[in-house]
Amino acid sequence: MTRKLVAAAAALTTVLTTPALAQDRGGVLNFARYDGSTLIDPIYADRNPDIWMVGSLFDTLLRPSQDGNSVVPGLAEAYAVSEEGTTVTLTLREGIKFSDGTPLTGEDVVFSLNRARDADLSPWAGLLGTLDTVANNGNEVTLTLSAPDPTILSMLATFTTGIVSKARFEAADGATDQEKSAAIFAAKNAGVGTGPFYLCGFEQGTSMDFCANEHYWRAGADGKPLPYLEGVHFEIIPDDATRILKLQAGEMDAAEFIPFSRVAELEADQKIDMNLFPSTRIIYSPINTRPTRADGSPNPLADARVRQALNYATNKKALIGLVLQGAGKPMTSPLMAAATQLATETDPLYGYDMDKAKALIAEAGLAPGTEITFTTLAGSADDSTIFAALQQMWAPLGIQLKVEQVDNATRGAKNRTGEFDIHTYGWVNDVNDPSQVTGWLGYFPTAKAVGTGWENEKFNSLFEASATEMDAESRAGQYAEMQSIYAEAAPLLFMYETPFAVAVAKSVSGYVQTPLGNNLFEEASINR
Amino acid sequence: MATIQYILKRLALMAVTFFLVMIIIFLLVRLLPGDPAIAIAGDRASDADLAAIRERLGLNQPLVVQFWQFLSNTVQGDLGRSILMRAPVLDVIASRLPTTLFLTTYAVALSVLIAGPLAFVAALNRGRWPDAVIRTVFQVGLSMPVFYIGLILLTFLAAQLRWFPVGGYGDSFAERLYHLFLPSVAVALYTSAIIMRNLRSAIVEVVDAEYVEFARAKGLSAWQILGRHVLRNALISTVTLLGLSIGNLMSGTLVTETVFAVPGVGRLMLEAIFARDYPLIQGLTLTFAVLVSIVFLLTDLIQSALDPRMRLT
Repeated sequence: MTRKLVAAAAALTTVLTTPALAQDRGGVLNFARYDGSTLIDPIYADRNPDIWMVGSLFDTLLRPSQDGNSVVPGLAEAYAVSEEGTTVTLTLREGIKFSDGTPLTGEDVVFSLNRARDADLSPWAGLLGTLDTVANNGNEVTLTLSAPDPTILSMLATFTTGIVSKARFEAADGATDQEKSAAIFAAKNAGVGTGPFYLCGFEQGTSMDFCANEHYWRAGADGKPLPYLEGVHFEIIPDDATRILKLQAGEMDAAEFIPFSRVAELEADQKIDMNLFPSTRIIYSPINTRPTRADGSPNPLADARVRQALNYATNKKALIGLVLQGAGKPMTSPLMAAATQLATETDPLYGYDMDKAKALIAEAGLAPGTEITFTTLAGSADDSTIFAALQQMWAPLGIQLKVEQVDNATRGAKNRTGEFDIHTYGWVNDVNDPSQVTGWLGYFPTAKAVGTGWENEKFNSLFEASATEMDAESRAGQYAEMQSIYAEAAPLLFMYETPFAVAVAKSVSGYVQTPLGNNLFEEASINR
Repeated sequence: MATIQYILKRLALMAVTFFLVMIIIFLLVRLLPGDPAIAIAGDRASDADLAAIRERLGLNQPLVVQFWQFLSNTVQGDLGRSILMRAPVLDVIASRLPTTLFLTTYAVALSVLIAGPLAFVAALNRGRWPDAVIRTVFQVGLSMPVFYIGLILLTFLAAQLRWFPVGGYGDSFAERLYHLFLPSVAVALYTSAIIMRNLRSAIVEVVDAEYVEFARAKGLSAWQILGRHVLRNALISTVTLLGLSIGNLMSGTLVTETVFAVPGVGRLMLEAIFARDYPLIQGLTLTFAVLVSIVFLLTDLIQSALDPRMRLT
């Protein structure tokens, strides 16, 4: 397939080189990934390498706006939410086609949304928890909700509500929904989505090819249909150094997940654009707030003053310098990145203040020489640096920080069972709304407030109220209050936000990674 | 006849070995902390989701039941489905194995090609400067980790001089030879160092042996002595060592394949471990065990062919 793509690209390039066009068209973009996709399906995609690709193959009814703060029309050209907030009506754009040329109908939308909210099928069904019925009358689609849901429009712009061809899906091999989905993915041909590309090549763990959807509905700057590219060729290169070398050698046009220690070097490279895309990625450390540790001994971190002290004693600017070589910023909201809607900028959030930290420790009566264990990822250079820095930074508080190195699966299990004092963690939003991250980090009933065991009734009730609050201003007020409660209680060590570091050859323009992590190739072009 | 009997006996022993390997790997994998259900569904999954996954994968069954299922399925040629790759383990391994076998064979061939002639040069110049230079260079090769050698080769020969591609593995046979040259060299440096050292001392020993002096006295030419006596005798221990190194080489592919972006079973093993993909880890371990057993068997057969004194029992 690669060769076919290359041949097609070469042919197209020769055609295009004669007349001078304002907009570069054609060519295959070679993209080096850190990890491969295993299945790109709006409802089964559950790892970031899958999720971040869904949008290239499947369109959603609405799309996040450029600035990320609202939604704009997608497959639906118009939408309206009823006064009481329980009915959403959407009008589908005329003439939309799947990548095999068959037309999109209201039935495809009903089929896709029903599939997405089916808890027996989709791990993401909870995102559409309020959806009661979906019906269509021709190109009019009506959603009725069991309760007002301020997040519904954001959800209709989220990968899991990507629209799938009903006919194509039902005709696929396999007895169950899951088997059909896998069969479609393995079949590598056009027709199941209306996105700017379709999957035309795939080798497990090795490579993946996207080919341009010639029926795509959005027009480019030159008035002709997007995408500009003929296709995208992905190669899976897990080793950071190798990915960068491939880009420098010109074998790849772009490389993602550039380690921050290499950013300055690549910024100085004449042939490379070192992009630091704003993201919703935050790095934080959950603190076990339970009265006793897993072994039954009293937990010094149960005292909020101790947790506050740790936050004050942590010099985030220094951490950012050490770990990110400066390419990041301290968290300004306790619950989310600044790029997320409704983030309150409570800057500075626990600015460095050793005197305050010492006073709080004294007030809490923490015994000098108290041992605290910091659980980190084995093999992670970033985690090792963070540990070494914190060990130094917290020593003046009389805290003896010990390290425990585990792998990712073990860390996940420890988080779940509460067998930790503090451990490293990170987050990237999947939804363009603060409810998901807030539910994860602070709401006790879902995940024990990210495993910290922190439970605050006021917070929980505010979160529940905000889930049905249709008035934007009141909802913003609830979120502001939740953020202030959370900051005060400090169940986390608040660290920093990091951008997405993607290095791209100068010949490429228009590639974007959104704050949610989605890779957008539809407006990318190459000028070779 | 004796050979066939010997092979049958070895195959029976191999079956016992595989059974033991299966027990060990089955238990080891389950002793690893971490839960495959969390690895699949992610940290954010609810307890109900996790329970459903455990149920689907049979992870909620008692260990004995799980092992019996693993054993009986394996005997029937079914290694289960990979959790991570969402495909039958056998298919996943079959798609990745040829690349690793190619890489390993290539590395072995290069090791022999590099180590063989140099060992002769070193041995025949014993104590003089060519010997010292060759031995020093290989000593350095021995003491450097494969990933480091790999990165150095990539940086200079691939990224800067552009003589070779940076990673990947090509489609045709010729392309593969070209793409996999650097990774093979990176792996071969270590193996060839061991072989060179061993072959050199074997040659030295043989050259000093009485029967060689006798041959010399008989008036045989230097080449005749080399071919008939020295090479044949010196090779015996080298073949054993080569056989053992192939086992090493296979485990070395875990690192090499990651650094050079070669999609073989070595890299697959790393991915499987990180994802707690029990069926895939088990399948890969068995595959490695089968391959290593075959190599050892072949080594013994070749050894006995070289030296009739070694009886196959």
